[in-house]
Parts: sequence; C-alpha cells; structure tokens
Amino acid sequence: MTSISQTTRPAYSAASPRSDGLSTGFYKLLFMTPTILVLALVVAGPLLYSFWLSLHEYIITYGMGDLVWFENYAVMMSDEFAGVSWVTMKLTVIVVVLEFLIAFGLALLLNQSWLKFREIYLLVLMLPILMTPVAVALMFRLMFNPNLGIINWLLSLVGIPQQGWFGDPDLALATVVFVDIWNETSLMLIMLYAGLKSLPQDPVEAARIDGASAFQILWHVTLPMLKPVILVTLLIRMITALKSYDLIYMLTQGGPGKVTETISFYAYRLGFRFLDIGQAAAVSFILLAAVVVLTVVLLRIMREN
Amino acid sequence: MQPSLLLRIVTHLILGLCCLVVLSPLLWVLRTSFADKIVAYQLPPALFFTPTLDNYRMILVEMDFGTFFLNSLIISLTSTLLAVVIGALAAYAIDRYKAGGNAMPIVILATQMMPPIVLVIPFFLIFKDIGLTDSRAGLIVTYLAFNLPYVVWLMMSFMKRVPRELDEAALIDGCTPMTAFIRIIVPALLPGIGAATILSFVLSWNEFLFALMLSGNESKTLPVAISSLVTQQGTAIGAVSAATILAMLPMAILYFAMRRFLVSGLNLGAVKG
Repeated sequence: MTSISQTTRPAYSAASPRSDGLSTGFYKLLFMTPTILVLALVVAGPLLYSFWLSLHEYIITYGMGDLVWFENYAVMMSDEFAGVSWVTMKLTVIVVVLEFLIAFGLALLLNQSWLKFREIYLLVLMLPILMTPVAVALMFRLMFNPNLGIINWLLSLVGIPQQGWFGDPDLALATVVFVDIWNETSLMLIMLYAGLKSLPQDPVEAARIDGASAFQILWHVTLPMLKPVILVTLLIRMITALKSYDLIYMLTQGGPGKVTETISFYAYRLGFRFLDIGQAAAVSFILLAAVVVLTVVLLRIMREN
Repeated sequence: MQPSLLLRIVTHLILGLCCLVVLSPLLWVLRTSFADKIVAYQLPPALFFTPTLDNYRMILVEMDFGTFFLNSLIISLTSTLLAVVIGALAAYAIDRYKAGGNAMPIVILATQMMPPIVLVIPFFLIFKDIGLTDSRAGLIVTYLAFNLPYVVWLMMSFMKRVPRELDEAALIDGCTPMTAFIRIIVPALLPGIGAATILSFVLSWNEFLFALMLSGNESKTLPVAISSLVTQQGTAIGAVSAATILAMLPMAILYFAMRRFLVSGLNLGAVKG
C-alpha cells in the first residue's frame, strides 16, 4: 500500500517544480500562515502572558507587582482549592457517568432495527445540543423557582413539600446535575448512536444464530467492538465538563455557600471579584494541567484505534 | 426479528418519556413568553389564555434586545467566516502536505480542549491595555481562539474522505496547489465546509465567558444580555421567557433546517478525529 501510494504521488514530493515555479514548501507556508498567526496571537501569546501573570503578585487595582515565582501556585494547598477541586471532580464524574448511561441506553434503544418513529425521537432528543446554555439555565431557574416555579407546584400535586432547589445546600448540586443532563446528554447520544450504527452487523448476527441472548450479545459482542468510541466519548465529555462554566455562573454562582463552586468559577471569582489576577491565572493553569493530562490520554486512545 | 409486544411498548414508553422531558421545559417557556403579567404568575397555571406579544415588545423595544441580537449575529457570522476560510486552507495543508508535521494535529486538538477561563484572564488585561474592550472586532478575534481549532479539526476529518487522486490529477495537469485547492478541494469539501460553518456559528452564538468579560454596552451579545436578566427574574417572568426564546430561536431554526449537516459534523468532529 505504502509503496504504491509513494510511486503514484510524485506531485507531493517537495522538490517537484510547479508550473508557476514556486515550491511546495512555499505553498505549505502560504496555507498555514493564517492559522499559525491566529493561533499565536489569540492562543499562544495570551497563554504565555497568563503564565507570566501567574508568576507575579498582581491585583488589578494596583497593577503588576513583584515576581513571586510559584508562590501563587501555593493556592493548591488551601482548603478552599481542595473544596472546589472536590466539587469539580464530583460534578464531572456524576454528570459524565449519568449522561453516559442515559445516552448509551437511548442509543441502544434507537438502534433497534424494528423501531418505528426513530427519526422523530432523534429529532427531539438532539434538540438540546444547540440550545444556548445561558438560556437553558435561565429557563430552569424560572421553573425551579421555589415560590413561582412550575416544578414545586407540580410536586405539590403529589404531596411533596416545597423545595429550595438551587438555594438548598443539599439539593443545589443535584439540581445543577439535572440541568446539565438535560443540556448535554444529546452530544453523547449522537456520538454513541453513530458509533453503534457504524458497527458491522455480522458478528451480532452470528452470535444470535449461535443462540446468544440479547444481553450476552450486548456484553460480549457490541460492547467490545464499541469500546474505542465509548472511551473517546467519555474523555471528550470529561474534558468539556471540567471546563464548563456557563451553567454554574447562571444557576448558582457557586452557591449556596460553596457547594457548587467549580475550579473554573473559582478562578473567575479570584480574578474578577477579588481582583487577584496572579492567583486566578495560577488556578486556571492548574485546571489546564488537568485538561492536558486527559487530552494526552484521549490522543493515545485515538491513535491506538 | 420482531421482539415481543411488551418490549416494544416499554421501548416506546422510555423514548417517549425522554422526549417529554426534553420538550416540556421548552414548551413551558414558550407558553410563558406569550403570557401577560397576571397569567405568568398564576399557580395553578392557566393553560388557555389570550396570548400577548407584550413580553417580546418589552425586551425588544424597551430593553434593546434587538441590538444585542444584531451584535451576536455580526460577531458570530464574521468569526465563523474567518475561521472557515483560514481553517479550510490549514486542513488542506495538514492533510495533503503534512504541514506542521505530526505535532500539528496534536496542537489543534489540545487548543480545542483548552478551558476558556485560561484565556479570558490574559485577554481581559490585554484588551484593557490596547483598547479593544467592548468592541465587536475584539470579540470576533478572540472567538477565533476556539472556532479555528474546531474548524480545522473538523475539516481534517472531511479532507481524509476527499480522494487524493482528485487533486493529484489536478496537480499533474498543471494546477498549482492554490488552484487545485480552489477548483478541486473546495467543491469536494462542501459538506465539511457546511458542517464547520454551522457548528462554528453555534459555538460563537452560545459563547458566554469571553463575551461576559470583554464586552460592554456597545458589543454586548445575547447571552450576556440574558444573564443580566437573572436579577430581575422575580419581577419579569414573561420578559425573561421571551428573551430565552429569542436566544434559542435561531438555533432551533438552524437545527431543523440543517440537521443532516449537523449530525455528520458532530460525528466526524468528535469521534473519528
């Protein structure tokens, strides 16, 4: 395969001259320059600058202070950081696991060959994927409003007393999880459903002819074949969950107390409420480190498959 | 193989219930957006009432949501357009000429995964220094930070499906890489360009953190305007509902009109890499 494609591809060898006399290298540069410029300007530059900030004492109102090296990173040792890390981890694990189970279950149901109205189900179930998170959050704030919201009223019909939802320390995280599931499950559903659909049907048929039960087919045939897709789906969702910010800002602002405060929101609060840019930048880099680790794992899995 | 009736009923029940969970909040907010003040607060809620457009008039005229809508539209469209043009070129160079070597796809993916809070802190200070705060141009440029990697990544997977023979033949026939790109690749890449355009527009339209920190009265986008309604939600349920619907409307239209593009884009972008 390799040798064939090499011999039939003289046009891509770097040395071959073109009709306009310009080398392949020139075109490579021409095509990549805009992207490299943009990424340098809006990603690499700000990133380096932010790292520089994280090494300084920097309160917005006073401007940049002394170079303190990694002193800002000592925030990692604080109870507060431990708290927000715990919330972030809890939230990430809970939403990823629940959303995966729901999405995978629905994908399996939707993949049944005999299913009627499949297109309609898909159309509805994928609707939340596009909804502006801020608007989704506001929609649920209205509905979960303790006094005016429809949800408490509906629950009162079956005799459940009024709940504080986002204002109740015991319920706030669970309510955020509910909104997150509503908003984000579609993405996992679309990925898992597409994965299921692209699986070859022969092994499943063979197992069925051999008398395997539906559960045995799922466990011994479908799941192993789908493993790469599942892993990639889980990782991508974990990364997006780790960095998610909109819902927390809109639903609870990290409260009540700090029961729903995530690392992203904590960095925001340090930087733009307490005006401590140095610490905020340090916290954001710690979050970035976590995301980078997950991304490396993601890449490795993608490459293996 | 036809499974038992019970199994089929249970399957439809589960799927139907999930659809209900997805649809009912949307329908509820839609209903409330047409309710007058008295109806909006009524519990038990009235299901049948004379609809009014007062809420929409209030947010569009009195609260100037028309301007914010326009801001969102201009910023999202411009940033998307830039990302798609720049990104298509890069995807071509990376796939066909291995530009940037093996590291390039990794850089693109890593950038795409970056939490926005990491960038918003430096942007906030840089914009203050160079006077880009509260400008549409500033937001358009910063939105490229997440749009461009996304578009490149997505188009790379679409590029892999364009047969190499197509542009190789063009090159042998005397096309330069640029003319081969314009005449051969772009037409073959149209589904990818379509998917990338829609998804990049969705990302920009829904973006919140950058807009929150970097915009002001001149360049406020719809999500930021909506977030500022939170404090008023006790007093203006109807208006808040109308604003929510207004933000979702373009997305819903896009969704129903372009579902095929969207689904293929989401699949390729996410899973196949």
